[in-house]
Amino acid sequence: MKLAGNDMLIQSLINEGVEYIFGYPGGAALHIYDSIFNQSEMQHILVRHEQGATHAADGYARATGKPGVVMVTSGPGATNAITGIATAFMDSIPMVVISGQVQSHLIGTDAFQETDMIGISRPIVKHSFTVDHQSNIPQIVKEAFHIATSGRQGPVVIDIPKDLTNPDDLFDYEYPKEVNIRSYNPPIKPEATQIERVVDAIFNSKKPVIYAGGGTISSNASKELIELNSYINVPVTNTLMGLGVYPATDDKFMGMLGMHGTYQANMAMHNADLILAIGARFDDRITNTPEKFAPKAQIVHFDVDHSSVSKIIEADIAVFGQVKDSLQAINKLIKDRLPELDITKFDDWHAQISKWKSEHGLNHNLYKDSSDENLILPQAAVQHIYQESKGKAFVTSDVGQHQMFAAQYYHFDEPRKWINSGGLGTMGFGLPSAMGVKLAYPDEEVICITGEGSIQMCIQELSTCSQYKLPIKIFNINNLALGMVKQWQDMNYDGRHSSISYEDSLPDFKELAESYGHVGIKITKNSDLKKGIEEAFSIKDKLVFVDIYVDPNEHVYPMLVAPNGSLKDMWLAKGSKT
Amino acid sequence: MIERQLTLIMENKPGALARVVGLFHQRGYNIDSLHVDSIEDFIPYKFIEDELDVKFSKGEVSRLVIKTTVADTLMRQILRQINKLIEVIAVSDEDSTYLKGILRDENLL
Repeated sequence: MKLAGNDMLIQSLINEGVEYIFGYPGGAALHIYDSIFNQSEMQHILVRHEQGATHAADGYARATGKPGVVMVTSGPGATNAITGIATAFMDSIPMVVISGQVQSHLIGTDAFQETDMIGISRPIVKHSFTVDHQSNIPQIVKEAFHIATSGRQGPVVIDIPKDLTNPDDLFDYEYPKEVNIRSYNPPIKPEATQIERVVDAIFNSKKPVIYAGGGTISSNASKELIELNSYINVPVTNTLMGLGVYPATDDKFMGMLGMHGTYQANMAMHNADLILAIGARFDDRITNTPEKFAPKAQIVHFDVDHSSVSKIIEADIAVFGQVKDSLQAINKLIKDRLPELDITKFDDWHAQISKWKSEHGLNHNLYKDSSDENLILPQAAVQHIYQESKGKAFVTSDVGQHQMFAAQYYHFDEPRKWINSGGLGTMGFGLPSAMGVKLAYPDEEVICITGEGSIQMCIQELSTCSQYKLPIKIFNINNLALGMVKQWQDMNYDGRHSSISYEDSLPDFKELAESYGHVGIKITKNSDLKKGIEEAFSIKDKLVFVDIYVDPNEHVYPMLVAPNGSLKDMWLAKGSKT
Repeated sequence: MIERQLTLIMENKPGALARVVGLFHQRGYNIDSLHVDSIEDFIPYKFIEDELDVKFSKGEVSRLVIKTTVADTLMRQILRQINKLIEVIAVSDEDSTYLKGILRDENLL
């Protein structure tokens, strides 16, 4: 079969099984868009800004485990995609981004809409390709998808000059069945000796903790993790990226750990004698001061990426490989040796954790107060959303206080249901990523918990939701200010609120949503909260934007004391710390 | 902190060198010196060809020698970060080598 470069590129995506392309056309991508027009196997979703395209593809990838695909033009199209690519890179999300480029003979001449996309994106991609000849397109696309989806996953950029997509130049096309990149060999199988050492460490411990992160989700190892704990029965905490990989409603689950983790999770980590770090990377929001991190614990680290192990915290036992394979190997060995393990030896440890939880655990009953003597608590809003969605929804979030409240008070029982920008912390992520999730799962409830700051960073995508009829639910936790920044200014800058307020210039979000053809609901009184959220969930066929005015002075607690604190050093309420 | 030498064998492709140099800056390491050559004589690297089950041809693969001054603990991290670059076939310091993503406890390069 002979095809032109533009058709080769599109046919290669079809061969990869791509369902959706999130993108925005422009000069350098015109030939490619003509090929998109001429096919019906993939749907192109026209966003309103390229950042929205990358986040939508990212949301699709996080929810499905399949790579998200983005198409942008050269110059500003490419640079607008950068924030979304960096977001995916930090959270190891598989994504393939195709950027148009000016014609080959113009490269390096400062041509119209020319930018060095490969150079600009280099530090935030797993790999990138420049197409140098049409006949290489199928091989490059195959390699891009392979690299994006194997090992530690991540975004891959393909930059393609316009002349190489010219419809008049035909070349032989055959899509490769297999791919073998001789210089690339992601580790596959864990070493048996390390597996034995891990099982010994578990059997010899008295105060073990499982600390599981996003790598456990990307490796699809939730089932294996639950199976492991069905044998060893130890306390579990998840990172912000790992929420859902272990059921939150299980009695062994302690909640999230770290900067805004629960008291019991942080205390358990600090006092543990064994930490099983599974697909987690000891981020600075987890460890607090690394030198003071978990002083008594032996560290076992499972990771697919060699460079993540002993980067921040030295591992005593390292298990390299896909977490799923490693956990399967552990489970097999533990099953054989189960008679050696007396799990009652952890009873004291469980009792200690229950004590911590009863002393300073989160209050999950705040939603029961509907008195108008009080302002709406953002935590209570999240609790109502949890109740009304029966804990089954996909929840995307933006970045800030609302994100932490959602992570603390929505109990995720399944992986891939909680979708947020953990690593880069990208405001504007919530709405477009919810679009990607809704396209992947049109029959599931998809919720975006956001704030009035974050939502305005990609609010133009309300128009995209209108065009493609995406009935997601947006809950805007509106505290009239950049709440997390304000909290830090309250705590560390004597309440000097520098550049965090826009109270008099906010839009009426209800009317704004309605102008896009959506349903808007405004909730200002505590007594209306339950009813308003119920009403939102009763509407099935339209996007509902619920603007909830909450207490503007509320802070997120617990909060680790920094700098120089350990995991046991936490603010528990205003003016009160451990 | 002492000066250390890293040796890389990598695909000779446009932009590959920029990825290595960029990584040093991105991760906060300094380069004292850098030397890069296209490999003409493959006899010393036959074990790589055997391992990868390929025959290199002239101009296809480059050898980089980088000198950098870092602490011991950071050296291991640099080696691991370089190993992650897709176009790097092998990388070694004084006493270890990553080849095809697998760590060996000697300098093979």
